[in-house]
Amino acid sequence: MRVLLVEDEPVLRGQLRLSLEEAGYVVDEADNGRDAHFLGGTEAFDAVVLDLGLPLLDGLSVLRRWRAEGRGMPVLILTARDNWHEKVTGIDAGADDYLTKPFHTEELLARLRALIRRAGGLASPVLTCGELVLDTRSGRVSFQGTPVTLTSHEYKVLAYLMHRPGQLVSRGELTEHIYAQDFDRDSNTIEVFVGRLRRKLAADLIETVRGQGYRLVPR
Amino acid sequence: MTVTGGPAGEGQGGGAPAGSLRVRLFAATVIGLAVALALAGVVLHGLFREHVLQQFQIGLGQQLDQLTARLAVDAQGRPAIDPQALSDPRWQQPYSGLYWQIDEVAPGGQGHVAVRRSRSLWDDRLVVPGDVLIDGALHVHETGGPRDSHLLLLERTVRLAEQPEVRWRLLVGADLKDTQAALERFGRVLGVSLAVLFVLLVLAAVAQLWVGLRPLRRLQGDLQALQDARATTLGGPYPSEIQPLVDDFNRVLEQNRRVVERARTQAGNLAHALKTPLAVLDQAAARAAVGPEAGLARLVGEQVGLARRQVDWHLARARMSATRQMPGQRCEVLACVRGLVRVMEKVHAARALHVRVEDAPPTYFAGEEQDLQEMLGNLLDNACKWARREVVVTVAPPGGARPGCLCVRIEDDGPGIDAARLTEVLDRGIRLDESVPGSGLGLAIVSELSGLYGGGLQLQRGAGGGVVAVLELPAP
Repeated sequence: MRVLLVEDEPVLRGQLRLSLEEAGYVVDEADNGRDAHFLGGTEAFDAVVLDLGLPLLDGLSVLRRWRAEGRGMPVLILTARDNWHEKVTGIDAGADDYLTKPFHTEELLARLRALIRRAGGLASPVLTCGELVLDTRSGRVSFQGTPVTLTSHEYKVLAYLMHRPGQLVSRGELTEHIYAQDFDRDSNTIEVFVGRLRRKLAADLIETVRGQGYRLVPR
Repeated sequence: MTVTGGPAGEGQGGGAPAGSLRVRLFAATVIGLAVALALAGVVLHGLFREHVLQQFQIGLGQQLDQLTARLAVDAQGRPAIDPQALSDPRWQQPYSGLYWQIDEVAPGGQGHVAVRRSRSLWDDRLVVPGDVLIDGALHVHETGGPRDSHLLLLERTVRLAEQPEVRWRLLVGADLKDTQAALERFGRVLGVSLAVLFVLLVLAAVAQLWVGLRPLRRLQGDLQALQDARATTLGGPYPSEIQPLVDDFNRVLEQNRRVVERARTQAGNLAHALKTPLAVLDQAAARAAVGPEAGLARLVGEQVGLARRQVDWHLARARMSATRQMPGQRCEVLACVRGLVRVMEKVHAARALHVRVEDAPPTYFAGEEQDLQEMLGNLLDNACKWARREVVVTVAPPGGARPGCLCVRIEDDGPGIDAARLTEVLDRGIRLDESVPGSGLGLAIVSELSGLYGGGLQLQRGAGGGVVAVLELPAP
């Protein structure tokens, strides 16, 4: 899952990045509104954590522009401005959630997980696909009742597919969502991760549609 | 239990109005007109009377001249007048109202003996107060005449060439009856005319007052619109005498708005300036919680929590300090509720709550929209935190227990609070359950803010066991 983190305070941005990465997210950063608008408009993100008080272009304007351009990724506003007038303005500008500073990391992560889940039409934090179970809160995976140990990248590929059960996901889309923008992307590595997942789980769990991508098949 | 602050509407000042400008102007105009027209009537009538009497006297003088010219002496040495020589037929007609008489003046000038008189005098005589006349001088008298008539009388003494030692007094009198009747008629016409003029002038004064005071009435209407929150400034343009006042008033309103705006902006900036470092500290503390510095991390975490509550409370107070009921403020309650419900649906989306807003006629709050959002936002957020499935919002227009106040009821189906502790939760920073996130300030802020507006917050036990927050606020 790839998240855009927009925050102009460098220390807080670093802390948030660390927390998000530890929770298994791929994080891209922007420290001003103009860069944030550009990144959100051109890259594929599963969620955005957006500060409102930003240099160059304020957060609300960034959000309004994204929505006007048809960018529908879930956006969580994280701001020190805590009065209800600003919350209403933020939600009406197209935000999906609103969290005020200072905040607890667990709450931010829980809200972010819920946002991503709801964007995929899923209600429970525990994702299941047949006998495969992924708990988004703890990052634990089990298959046929047995815990499975996955590397960070394997987890990211599986989590992305489990948020879209039965949907065809292209290799390019997977690459976009499990690597940050400045990462040297090689779509062949996706093939390697899928191969490893098939070995650790079941060979026919992830179906390859030739020339189009992968699909998670419930079993 | 009700919590209210000081009445917000105090000190509007003024007391009973010092009379009506319209009544004052009208009374002064009517009194002035009445005095002026009465004076005009008296003066006009006097002038007319003087003129008529003067004309009358001139005519009578001519009769006297004619009489003097016709005066002759008969064989006995007595004065004689040839009746044919006098042209006016009234001399011959008894009691016609025109008379002459010739008296012989006694040698000392005192005492007169009537020797000749006109036929019209019949058996009567003209009686004149005895005054000393120099020859040729003309004296005028108003005196009684025959048959209770009122005469204007001219007298003159002459000496004839034939008898230079004897003085004759010639008297000519005419009845003033017709003249007085004409004067009375004129007086009546003058009175009626002046009365009609008075009525017309009063009507003109009323029209003038109505037209002249119309800008003041418009100002009154504009002020009422401001009071009813149908306008935010006084309209215009007004006449040059009033416009500066209106401009000053609008400037004060604008200045008030700016003060409030500035206070809010500063509170927002301060929030940003303080809370971002707090967030950094909190994140650092959370990260260090499982290391060698765990004790310090816990301490920092606690202190950050404490600092956050202090900052929240004082920022809320700073915003409240700018709160004042300014004329011209109003906002629609249901629209505000719906905006907040959209926030609740997102912020509490994980709980799949249903926030139901009951239909209500358009209801307005006489105050700042941001303050209403702050109060309703805190109450709704609190209800959503505790609700199991549903929160119901009911807005009632004025007409309830508190006069002039609208009422918003927010009921949750949560576990509720003991009746004994319902008051306690309105105190600053009291949290009955630490497991639900929040600063515990929300209800205290709502209670204080509603008090500043002259309203109040009550917490009650709902029929379903949950909490009902009843917020009463002034309507325009």
